[in-house]
Formats: sequence, structure tokens, C-alpha cells
Amino acid sequence: MAKKTFRGRPMLAGKIEGKALVSKQPFNLTGSYLKNMFAGETESAPCTDSANKELYEKDLKGAIICTPQTVGSTMGAGTIMMLSELGVGPQAFLFSSHIDSISAGGLIIDDVWNGRRVITIDLLGDEFLEAVKTGDPITIHEDGTVEVG
Amino acid sequence: MERRNFFKLLSMAWAAVVLLPGRLLAKTEKAAAPASSGASGTGKLPEYAKEMRDSDMYGLGPDGKPTGQKATFTGASKANATAEKAMRHKMKLTKQEQAVLDGKDGEEKAKLMKILVAFGNTFGAEKLVDLGGAPHSNMFIGAEYMKSMIKMLDECAKAGLKSYAPYTVNPRPYDVYNVQNNPKDMTMIYEGYKLQRDLDYVHVRLGAPDLNYRTCACYLDEIGNAPEPGTYVAWAESSAVNYGNSVLGIRTNRNGAGMDLIQAMLGKAPKFGLMTDEGRKAKWLVEVKTSKEPDWGAIGTAIGRKCVEDVPYVTGLDKYFKGGKVTADNMHLLKAMGSATASSGAVGLYHVEGVTPDAKKMGKKLLAKGYETYVIDDKEQARIISTFKNLWPKKDADPTACFIGCPHNTYYEVVKWGKMVTEALKKAGKKKAAIPVYMFMPNKVRDRAIEEHGELVSKMKRAGMHATNMCSVSYAGMKGFSERVRGVTNSAKTRNYSTIRYFPDEILVKIIVTGKIPKGA
Repeated sequence: MAKKTFRGRPMLAGKIEGKALVSKQPFNLTGSYLKNMFAGETESAPCTDSANKELYEKDLKGAIICTPQTVGSTMGAGTIMMLSELGVGPQAFLFSSHIDSISAGGLIIDDVWNGRRVITIDLLGDEFLEAVKTGDPITIHEDGTVEVG
Repeated sequence: MERRNFFKLLSMAWAAVVLLPGRLLAKTEKAAAPASSGASGTGKLPEYAKEMRDSDMYGLGPDGKPTGQKATFTGASKANATAEKAMRHKMKLTKQEQAVLDGKDGEEKAKLMKILVAFGNTFGAEKLVDLGGAPHSNMFIGAEYMKSMIKMLDECAKAGLKSYAPYTVNPRPYDVYNVQNNPKDMTMIYEGYKLQRDLDYVHVRLGAPDLNYRTCACYLDEIGNAPEPGTYVAWAESSAVNYGNSVLGIRTNRNGAGMDLIQAMLGKAPKFGLMTDEGRKAKWLVEVKTSKEPDWGAIGTAIGRKCVEDVPYVTGLDKYFKGGKVTADNMHLLKAMGSATASSGAVGLYHVEGVTPDAKKMGKKLLAKGYETYVIDDKEQARIISTFKNLWPKKDADPTACFIGCPHNTYYEVVKWGKMVTEALKKAGKKKAAIPVYMFMPNKVRDRAIEEHGELVSKMKRAGMHATNMCSVSYAGMKGFSERVRGVTNSAKTRNYSTIRYFPDEILVKIIVTGKIPKGA
């Protein structure tokens, strides 16, 4: 496939290559990690949000999650920190819209307080989410540029 | 009023406290698996956890399907933001703020400042502002997944950091004294909330008063956290933020757990969104044109679904507030409507023409250029209520419990419900309600009711009306709840987050007396 390039805001900048995991509907931050939160799951991060047909039961560990925004409990910041502590969190969040305050809080707190960074780019635009598909090769650059394909 | 002074006096005393010098951070401990459930690897999800996603802001509609709503949950839409503009934005800091960032007050405080500056830059804040009044925190879940967050706050407490003023906290998520004092519930509680003690202890050291002050309705007179209009604060808890911004006229964004306390420890907040004049402008004109007094929970739900997180300017409600005044005997109407806007959408501020302080001052000048109009008449209200589906697993069964007070009841509501139910029982020749009635309120309100209406409270207790200071939504969100409890409520917020069915007050009284859902209700 032809390579497509998008420019977003590098909220938590970083460089990484991997494959996309796409949720066209807003990603449920707390509802997706119930096995990690409550079942002692530490090896993987099977998505437990049955309302998310694209991701349900897929392994979210180390994923590059491409989604509009996150939704979920206002305790979501704690979820992000827990996932990092367990080592099953995503490697990156790529948001097409403006980041929401719950995940922003958790991601920034974990980055600054614990030195654990999940690369986060937001404002990539609706075109990004229209273009990217699960499994697509992704390259993220420090300046917020994201290459798909 | 006496208790408001309590907050003010404590604030003054604390301002004199010299923060301890920062300590070196403890080395990051190696990640440890949560001990809950005893499972590991591909452990089976405990029954109680399966529906936890339904507890709060889950992005699902009443039909269980994703709503697709997009929001920043700050209470201020960023729908038009662009990457180029956003990435160039940087707040200006004062010399004092920069010094804190550089470590003048210790490593922990420097890190908190770094977090706050990054957060402010993310949301386009112009600067940091000094906070007044008192904070309100929604850090109330002592579950193991909050371990890392609680650990951070514990490290802050150990470093001697403290809130700039004594603060209020949301109610605990359970009550093993008055409601959940059975082995099954207690097992779920002690498995699910293993860190509750640690969290409570953190709150004590950071500046929260004792647990008798726990409530989501911190603005009640008996609690006294009701800052003056125009005061900048950093509150969390959607219903409190919504009431505070709208009815008290304070200025706060909708903060998530953790960010509320970071701002409290710094005494500063990034000024953006609902803290600005521009962000408080209404993008929606909502005209309420019902022929009778509206169903406050239903119209709140309608507004939340329509506006999502934009600010509405609501007309047609001033006739329900004599002289345009919000008083002890009518504040619950706005509490009910507002909390519904905040739970069915993410509304952090609403203006009511002729009633709320911003609207009284500026009137329709609050409407933003290009605002849209939404009319709620009898037909629209009925349409909204028709979407409140029966979600009980066994739909035609009888109810088993009634939930009154989400957000927490005011003193007026407690007395009103006490009289309504006990008088209806007397009329029906009954001494006890057919189903238990859980009355959610802070202990301070319960104590006032005992002091001033002791006889009524005794009657309520004998009738099966139980005062509890826990969070209704947390209780209803627990797994197994819907299989064990067929609840009914007067709270559109509780309905929005659970399987509990919503009914008007007069129908609820009939249900409480008979234990049956009236035909056609």
C-alpha cells in the first residue's frame, strides 16, 4: 500500500515502529482492561470491552492504539498507571481528535512521576482514522508525524 | 454557616504550615501483579468485575451500545482544535511558579508542577491561577487498579505535601453497616476495594476531614464547601463540578481523579475552558416549554445527550424558583437536572435564565455566536422518558429496593421523603415499606435530621428507610447487582449508570408502599 503521512501534536513525543491496532469508536480505557485490573492477568492484555467489536479479546499489550479519543471511568488515569506498572500497557496512543482529560492526566502523571512514557500523538485528524487499518505498518516520529503503510 | 467557617478557619491555619523539604524519590519498585482474585496468567475475570465498565462515563447508551460521543471531558469542547496551533501553545509562568518547577520547594512539588504545566499546555491554558475556597476530590475507589495512583499520593504525603485548604471527598463506594452487611456483598467489597484503607489514610494526610464529611454534594450547608461566586477551584466529581459552576458560580474544569489533588497540593490550576469567560458561553439555547413542571431528571438527560459537553443556556425554568432564588427547598431540582446533564453527556456548566448567577448578570449575552436551539416540550420530554428502557434481567418481576439520593440528598429531601413515605404507609394501614428504601446522604445530613426530626427519623427507620453515606452509583455498578437487586430510583444519574429503573416521585411512593410497579408506569 502507498505510504500516507499525517501530522499530529506530539503530546508525549517519541520514535517507534510497529503495527496499528484500530478502534474507530472511542476506546474504553477502563472497560478494556478488566482482566488486568481484576483477574491478575500480567502476561497479556486481552481486551474485555465486549461493546468494541474491533478489539474485543485482542491482545492490547504493547499495541499502537489508533482511535478518536478514550472514554471510560474518571478513574482512568489510575488504569493507565497500573498498566505501565504491570508492563502490559500500549506503546503508543494515536488519537484523531483532541485528547480527553482523563487519559491526558494519567499519561502525563505516569510520564513525569514514574518516568514511564506511552508515546501519545493527538489531533491527527479524521482522515488518519479513515486511512489506517489494523495491521498496517506504523512509523511514529518525534515531531508528531505518523506514517501509515 | 458554622461549618463554612470551619473550612475557612482550617484554611487559614494551613496556610501557615511550612511544607517539609522534598525528599529523594524512592526507587521505582518492580511491578507486582495485583493480588486480587488469586488468579494469574489468563485468569478468569471475577464475576463482580465483569460489569465494572458500566459504572461511570462508559460511552454506552441505555441500549448497551456505544454512543460514539466524542468529548474531552473537561466540559469544554475542543472540536475545532488543530495540531499546528496546539503544539505551539505554551503557558507563561510567573517567576515563583518557575522556581517551584526548578525544584525550589523540593523534588516532589517540582514534579507536580511539571505535570500541571504539561496538562495546562495540552488544553490550551493561558496561565496558572491561584485557587481559593476548598477543593473537592473524586478519588474514592480503593481498588487495586488504583494502586499506582495511590502510591504517588502516598509519596506526596510522606514528603509533607498537603492541600492548600481542607478538602471534601466523594463518598466511599460501599457501606457495610447499613446496606451491604451480608456475607456476599462483604466478600465483594473486601476483594474489590483492598486499598480503601490506604486511600482513606492518604486523604487524611493530604487534608481531608473525617469520613462524616464524605459526599458528592459537598456544597450542602451541612458540609460547607461552597466557595463564593467567581472563585477558581479545582473540583472533580461531575455532579459537583456541574452544580458548583452553574449554581454557585465558581470556576472549575471537570477534573479526573489524580489531577484534582495535584492542583490542590499546588494551590494552582491551569486556566482554560470553564474557568474562562469565553469557555462559559453557551453554544445551545435550550427552551423548556413543558405544560407542567418538568421531570428534572428527564430534561437533564435530554440536555446532556444533545449538548454533550457544550454549555447550555436554559430558559423556561425561572418560575420554579421564587424570586429567582436557589434555596434549601428547591436546590434539589437543579441538582437532579444538572447531574443528569453531566452523566448522560459531559456538561460541566449550564445557565438557567433568571436563576443562576452568570445568567442573572449577563442574560442572553451568554449565548455564543452561532448558537443552536433545542426545544423541550411535553412531546420531547415524553420521547426522552420512552428511551429509559427496562433493563432488569427479569423484566416483569417485582422491585426489590428503592434508591433515593444521587447525588446525595439534601436535608430538605430527607425530611420530604420521610414524610411522604411514612404518611403513605399510615394511609395504607402499613407500618413497613414493601421494599427497603436506601436514602443516600452524608452523615452530617443524617445527624441534622436526627437532631431536628428525631421522631420522623425513628419512623423512617422502623418503616425500612435506611440512611447510608455511600455512593449509589458504585453500589449499583457492582457485579451481580442486577441479578440480585431490581432497583427503582428518582435519580436520572443512577439510571444512566445502572439497571435501576427511573420513576417520578409519586409513582415511587406507590412502589415503596405496595412493592409493585403500577400498571402503565
